[in-house]
Amino acid sequence: MDSNKKYWKGLEELNRTPEFVEKNKHEFAEPIPIEEVLSGGGLMGKTPRRDFLKALGFGVGAVTLAACQKVPVHKSIPYLIKPEEVTPGVANYYSSTYDGSAILVKTREGRPIKVEGNPNDLLSKGGLSAQAQASVLDLYDNSRVQDPQQNGSPTGWAQVDAFVKNQLAAIAASGKTISIVTSTIHSPSTQAVINDFIAKYPTAKHVSYDAVSYTGIIKANQNSFGKAVLPHYNFDKADVIVSFAADFLGTWISGEEFTRQYVSNRNNKSLEAKKMSRHIQFESGMSLTGTNADVRIAIKPSEEGVALVNLYNALSGTTLPGSRKLTTANADKAILLVAAELKAAKGKALVVCGSNDVATQVLVNAINSLLGSYGTTIDLDNPSRQYAGNDAEIVDFITQAKNGTVGAALFLDANPAYDYHSADAVKDALKKVSLKISFSDHADETAALCNIIAPNHHYLESWGDDSSVTGYYTVMQPTINPVYNTRQAEQSLLVWSDNPVKDYYTYVRNNWNNNLLAKGGLSGQAGWETLLQTGFVLAAPVAAGSYTFNYDLNAVAQTILNQSAKLAEAKVELQVYQNTAMRDGKRANNPWLQELPDPVSKVTWDNFAAMSPSDIIKLGLDEFEVIKIEANGYTVTLPVLSQPGQAPGTISVAVGYGRTAAGLVGNNVGKNAYPFLSFLNGTFQTNASATITATGDIFPLSQTQTHHSFEGRNVIREASFTEYKKNPAAGSGAEGEHEKYDLWEATNEDHIHARPVYDWVMAIDLNACTGCGACVVACSAENNIPVVGKDEVGRRREMHWIRIDRYYSFNNDSNGHAVTKEKEIAKLDNFNNVTVVHQPMLCQHCDHAPCETVCPVLATVHSSEGLNQMAYNRCVGTRYCANNCPYKVRRFNWFNYWNDSRFDNYLNNEHTQLVLNPDVTTRFRGVMEKCSMCVQRIQAGKLQAKMEKRPLRDGEVKVACQQTCSANAIVFGNRNDPNSEVSKALKSERTYYVLEELNVKPGIGYQVKVRNTGTESLA
Amino acid sequence: MRNISLIFKQFSRSVLLIAGLVVCGLTAHAQTDAAKGEAIFKAKCTACHKIDTRMTGPALGPQLTSETDDAYLTKWIQNNQALIAAKNPKAVKIFNEYNQAGMTVFAELSDADVGNVITYIRADWKKIQEDKAKAPAAGAVAEDKGPSSLVIWGLLGVIVIAFIVILVLNKVIATLERLLLNRQGIVLEEDAEEEKVKADRTATFKKLLKNKKLVFFIVLCGTIAMGSFSWVTMWNTNVHQGYQPVQPIKYSHELHAGAMKIECQYCHTGAFKSKNASIPSLNVCMNCHKSVKTESPEIHKIYDALGYDPNTAKYDSTKAKPIQWVRIHNLPDLAYFNHSQHVKVGAIKCQTCHGPVETMKEVYQYSPLTMKWCIQCHKRTEVNGKGNAYYDSILAAHDKIKKGEKVTAAVLGGIECAKCHY
Repeated sequence: MDSNKKYWKGLEELNRTPEFVEKNKHEFAEPIPIEEVLSGGGLMGKTPRRDFLKALGFGVGAVTLAACQKVPVHKSIPYLIKPEEVTPGVANYYSSTYDGSAILVKTREGRPIKVEGNPNDLLSKGGLSAQAQASVLDLYDNSRVQDPQQNGSPTGWAQVDAFVKNQLAAIAASGKTISIVTSTIHSPSTQAVINDFIAKYPTAKHVSYDAVSYTGIIKANQNSFGKAVLPHYNFDKADVIVSFAADFLGTWISGEEFTRQYVSNRNNKSLEAKKMSRHIQFESGMSLTGTNADVRIAIKPSEEGVALVNLYNALSGTTLPGSRKLTTANADKAILLVAAELKAAKGKALVVCGSNDVATQVLVNAINSLLGSYGTTIDLDNPSRQYAGNDAEIVDFITQAKNGTVGAALFLDANPAYDYHSADAVKDALKKVSLKISFSDHADETAALCNIIAPNHHYLESWGDDSSVTGYYTVMQPTINPVYNTRQAEQSLLVWSDNPVKDYYTYVRNNWNNNLLAKGGLSGQAGWETLLQTGFVLAAPVAAGSYTFNYDLNAVAQTILNQSAKLAEAKVELQVYQNTAMRDGKRANNPWLQELPDPVSKVTWDNFAAMSPSDIIKLGLDEFEVIKIEANGYTVTLPVLSQPGQAPGTISVAVGYGRTAAGLVGNNVGKNAYPFLSFLNGTFQTNASATITATGDIFPLSQTQTHHSFEGRNVIREASFTEYKKNPAAGSGAEGEHEKYDLWEATNEDHIHARPVYDWVMAIDLNACTGCGACVVACSAENNIPVVGKDEVGRRREMHWIRIDRYYSFNNDSNGHAVTKEKEIAKLDNFNNVTVVHQPMLCQHCDHAPCETVCPVLATVHSSEGLNQMAYNRCVGTRYCANNCPYKVRRFNWFNYWNDSRFDNYLNNEHTQLVLNPDVTTRFRGVMEKCSMCVQRIQAGKLQAKMEKRPLRDGEVKVACQQTCSANAIVFGNRNDPNSEVSKALKSERTYYVLEELNVKPGIGYQVKVRNTGTESLA
Repeated sequence: MRNISLIFKQFSRSVLLIAGLVVCGLTAHAQTDAAKGEAIFKAKCTACHKIDTRMTGPALGPQLTSETDDAYLTKWIQNNQALIAAKNPKAVKIFNEYNQAGMTVFAELSDADVGNVITYIRADWKKIQEDKAKAPAAGAVAEDKGPSSLVIWGLLGVIVIAFIVILVLNKVIATLERLLLNRQGIVLEEDAEEEKVKADRTATFKKLLKNKKLVFFIVLCGTIAMGSFSWVTMWNTNVHQGYQPVQPIKYSHELHAGAMKIECQYCHTGAFKSKNASIPSLNVCMNCHKSVKTESPEIHKIYDALGYDPNTAKYDSTKAKPIQWVRIHNLPDLAYFNHSQHVKVGAIKCQTCHGPVETMKEVYQYSPLTMKWCIQCHKRTEVNGKGNAYYDSILAAHDKIKKGEKVTAAVLGGIECAKCHY
């Protein structure tokens, strides 16, 4: 029944605006001016023939001259003394740690080129986020600080050490405070170094500061249970998940881990067991998590607290003082229904909330306590260490600095001059501090205010360790010699505190020998060596106990409701959020992340003010019209983006943009939204009341959402869980089998056996894919995909081989019928009530590939293993193939991106080119490219098997997008092997092929999106 | 008188003979010791020692000449460990000097054997020094003898110029003579005849030019020749078969792989495990050349590159600078080639593509390395899947289709684009 449901990628497609229709007629954004030349000035000129001959003559001459170039002499420079473990041409993998996750670093001839998740990692089991995938590029960023600096000019380490030690001694003697401002330290050794430093300088103080903080949750747990910890959540144990603006699949605490847990109750395996969790999301801005929810209810930030109070009331049967109804009847009804569902799933329910407000989180704790979540879905005994920042500490630090009691400030992985809500306060305060040291590897906003920059190593150059969850300890080992003249921050601290241990490596070793190795049952040199191979030790977890909530809720409810009432008075409620690519903005100088389209809005290279389409119409704003937003005394101008699903009366703005000292790539991209935060009741608040005024200017955003359109053909199949249970094939369109025709003569025996051994295919589970975009970055890293920049993306020239298409559709109309016909859509203006499906789209490697038949030079042909091959050096760039591809997955190189000064900022310089995968060629201007199904990995896997004289095992070859997917949404393998994972996945009743009706026989099967919409309509 | 002289001759001969015999006998006696010593030295000592230069152990010539305490030396050679353990100051000093690497214990050598070895070493060192003293003078003389190439070329140039001058002068003389005769009114017979012949020749040439068929034929031949020449030139653009650049070190594969029969992968270690066969790093060279041909200037290039001092056997990495070999086989970046696939899996001999390297003094590009060349081989070469479980199911699948036809690399997809281009 859902097969007629209308899906659309953007409002312009839905409304069929004239610009969209016109633009979409063409394959490329800008037509080639051939007609102009033919009909216009070209042939009508006075001397077309002479001009032609001139051009011809010049062309022939130029080509001849170019051909006369001598063949360059290539030098081959072997190692002088080759390290034993390096074989040129063979990759080495080293285990290390990225932000608490165990990873494997792929190095070639001593340079890291790719980061992959360690398959045994406790958190994501081999998956990695887009940020982690992109982190390897930062290593070669030539905007890094390349030497230690004193007062802005490069100096040597010896001078820095002498100066700093001298100053520190003087400051300690004067009794002034030495503040070490860091983001959350979850490395045990780093923490120990800081402790040693404090022992040496007793006036030193550690200030833990996270730009996006979880202090609210930690303090709430302190209040409710006497444990000041960030709990470890178990989404896999939850049958009903209710989230209040917590983007737990994206940016909230541990996105990759939660994705893995969440999907385990929604993937194919779970569905086949007729089991699927239910997920209800209440939020104002459309988040990645909201797009995946079974039911999403748009509420204003001011309603969040009220909704929670109502939920508590409904669950407990009491009424907290001051309770009031929500402003929308739907949401009010929804809370009651949600309460009923949660109650039914007691012990298997989980309520999470993205707020950083202590009172709100206390109430959430109360709700979870009522639901019996502690000990099951929430673990307080093996807490997470990922965030431990205390907002009050940084505020105190700034106050003290202003008062002149701080003598020295050391900034490690902290950039308050950018991400503190009042940068001016930081600047004023730092003026009173005599010694300011930044360990930043970039001369960032805070470093610019410091006398000393002691640049830290990149994590791939460092020794270290990490512990993201209690009992889980990972090791970090360097995979390259330092690229620049940097020194590890811990080493600097050791030197400055005259630590008896002279180098940080020994320090880490000692710490492991004495404290950590034993936790994994290891010891001594052998234990250390085992650790370097496995990457982590895992102590047996403590049994998670259940906790009873014990705190007075009346006062809490009062606080929440007062705050809500105050916020509700605002004309517009502003919500500040993190997006999946940029997060808190620390990696703003990473072009891969800047070019990764936001999972929901599909905007690249900018942040924006997301508003509800109905608000935009009401205010008479144009798309991308720049508005002035004023809140908390801060004004910023941002283009508006019409965001279906956004709660009316709200604006959402992402942090992480508007850096002024991030580096060549990240400077002045978007606007800074941190000043919208405020410090209230001991924590940073992310909501604010705002006023907006239109400016009338237009600032176009580079959005990829409507590029590569399917011309309104239906490519998404969806079913409800109820329908699925009745008929597993529901929605897949597999019922009506019809006769299929072969493009080639079936009598040709060769063709029948065209794929005798391998038939490489893929299965993508739409129900598992959350749309996070990690695969896009992983693909870029693996296949040397160039970054093209905002302007080129605006011209629909992004080069990503895999894209995540995001489709909106309307929910059921008021009568409960699925909205199918365009007529009805036009009538229905409830843009706040949309559902979203994410669909990874890449070359389908069709057996009847339409691109192959139109290539005049046979540059794209089919292989005997079912791959659609692309021979770049044969391509002459007619672009017929892109025109004829129904999936719009072919990408044309408009420029020689790897060697063109116009793209210098992105990837094209002598340093960043070191990240290139030497097994994949970089493509030249004028050729087509597209997904190759990581053919280099297939070939490498086969060769490995041949050398080891054994058959190729299923799952041995993992393509880059599949490897990094925490949700395991992508399965790749050999269809000829009936026992392969991919064969099994494709046999699922849910499998369908996109645009199957064209009979192009795609090699990628998609599995129907199933939504657990429940029996009673919530929204 | 005659008799007397005869007697004197005989007498002197016998005296000389006896003297000679005595001398011979004496030297022969001295040689027995040294010869025995030499045999032992070669069998036991050469792994770590040389007489004139330092290797793993000290240079024995100077060492044993300066150390005269034979009893100590004997003890040291027979059991150096005991001496060190007993903290003999001399022993400890040298032990420390050589990075505390203990010398092998030769308990099986008798005192006489050790004596022989010492005698041999001292004699040999003396000889080396004497040779050295003579050598510089001889070298200087030899150098003078060799005429420099500049001189040779200069001489040649003078000869050529002289020859030209003679020719010109001859011509001038002939012309002047003729002028003289002309003035006298005498026309030489030869001259008249010559003019006649000339006229005849031009006539035939003109006649030939008028023959259109012939002209056409010649033009056609010319076009074909030029055409095929340019075709071949263009076809072979960037094909560098036979490319033989001069390398920074005169390394001879003929010597190493041919005469010495060193396996290819002793140096090209990557060939069996990687896509790159890899040019050996210099530490591989040093495996042998720490002690082999240490005096050669080419080997010294290796030492210089490594910052290695053969006298102290120490490396100074600050002086190290890599050797820039000139790459001979330049496959374009767009083509992926993997050595291990061909050498290990396909069991193809290095020589199939690289030619008779073991006979090459300097390596040149043997194969054209064109795509045609690759494909031809892929089409002809049967896949050798025997004993490799990877191929079992693959060959079985192909047998079903091809019904016993031979399975070449091409049949298994070896000529598909994405096998090499990605």
